[in-house]
Amino acid sequence: MFITFKVVTTFAQDPLEKAGKRMEIIRMENVSVTVKEEQKNKLIFSDLNLSVNKGEKVLIRGRSGIGKTTVFRLILGFTRPSTGDIYFEGEHVDPGNIWNIRKRIAHISQDSDIGEGPVIALFEEVFSYGSNRDKFKRNDLKNLLSEFSLREDVLNNRFENLSGGEKQRISIIISLMINKDVFFLDEVTSDLDSALKEKVAEFFLSNPEWTVLVISHDPEWERGGVRVIDFASIVSGTEVNGHGSK
Amino acid sequence: MAANDISMLGLLFCFMLLLIPVGISHYLKLQLIGQTLESTFRMAVQLTLVGFFLTFVFDLNSAVLNIAWVMVMVMVASHTVLKNAELKMQSLIAPLAISFAITNLGMLLYFNGLIIDLKDVFEARYFIPIAGMVLGNSLRTNIVGINDFSGQIQRNENRYLSRLSLGAEKYEALMPYMRKSLRNALKPTLADMATIGIVFLPGMMTGQILGGSSPLLAIEYQITIMIAIYVTTVMNVVLGILILMYRGFDEYGMFKRSMLKKE
Repeated sequence: MFITFKVVTTFAQDPLEKAGKRMEIIRMENVSVTVKEEQKNKLIFSDLNLSVNKGEKVLIRGRSGIGKTTVFRLILGFTRPSTGDIYFEGEHVDPGNIWNIRKRIAHISQDSDIGEGPVIALFEEVFSYGSNRDKFKRNDLKNLLSEFSLREDVLNNRFENLSGGEKQRISIIISLMINKDVFFLDEVTSDLDSALKEKVAEFFLSNPEWTVLVISHDPEWERGGVRVIDFASIVSGTEVNGHGSK
Repeated sequence: MAANDISMLGLLFCFMLLLIPVGISHYLKLQLIGQTLESTFRMAVQLTLVGFFLTFVFDLNSAVLNIAWVMVMVMVASHTVLKNAELKMQSLIAPLAISFAITNLGMLLYFNGLIIDLKDVFEARYFIPIAGMVLGNSLRTNIVGINDFSGQIQRNENRYLSRLSLGAEKYEALMPYMRKSLRNALKPTLADMATIGIVFLPGMMTGQILGGSSPLLAIEYQITIMIAIYVTTVMNVVLGILILMYRGFDEYGMFKRSMLKKE
């Protein structure tokens, strides 16, 4: 995976895309979300329609609390839509499919809260899961640490004592090592300096096989080949609330 | 040689001791006088009734009645665990009671049959008091375990979701919480075991010595019962958390907040 990135760098070269035969990865049809607050149902948004094809790079923007994170949560089955349908690679997001769907997505949430204890132990835990077994490659880890300007001894530190930027980079490295080709990245570069933001964006956006959905306020993600979506333009009803559901 | 009988005058002397906490409560305005008297009264009444009841049960010594009485104890224990947990009863009480019944009955049969080598494993004089010790001692641990587990899920839900979105199955994602809760729950029991005999002489041993048994026999019983209690506690608390894992999450693997007493 690490090597793939080094070799293939241009998104526009993909032959499938030229032929217009890209597989649809995500489809959301007329989705609305309400949350229960103080015994009342509160609308987060309604009429969300979204389609993302394989290999697409999508940047979702919009003011805080508008419900951007909820899009990821809906596809991952963490939040249930009150109406509408959601499909991942053609499979309906429902209890029968959700466990399998989750295994095909690498998701990093905005708080990067993946656990506590020594960083190396977190790696061991993630790679002990049945779906990740045998995916751990020591060399990949070494290369990725240096790629994202982390020293190897960070592995011995406790995750909860790391800085926000270090936590984000560790989460990014884990998400890269579990070998998925769909990424949901929720504000994963907010605590990084500009050069690292640039590097992380380049890393994720340059692989034509990867489908990458990004929620970010960082301009580094805006570049050629990235579809920028203003969240307010794909939903309605967002003005009735001032907060998203997390 | 049996223990000296306590006369009515002796009991009166004993109750007079309560004047000390009552006096302290009055002087320091602790507002505990009512509760002290009420708790003492309830204890005395309950134990008196149990005393009569156990005399009857021991005389009758019927296996069916003994098992039925232990089942009542199991129900009360399950109810107590859930009453003290932050969770609603409905969906948990039945599986919890069944798991308590299986582990405790299993342990009682093993203990009476193989360890003390009784001819009649249901003999009331052993079956009921040992059930009481095992159940009573595993209660606190169960409450700690279940509360700790549900508390961790609520506090660190994002961490759980992160694990799910990094490829974990529900049980894989919950395992770190389970480990932590089990450790937190079992540590006090282990600490008790490590100090027993030196810091305090446990009630059962004291009772046997007062009842005329040799200290060595009392110690044999104490060692075996402590191990039985610890093993049953481990089984109960593991099962309690597993039940919560199974019943406390919906088909998407999300924690059912509706299970909490306070949403």
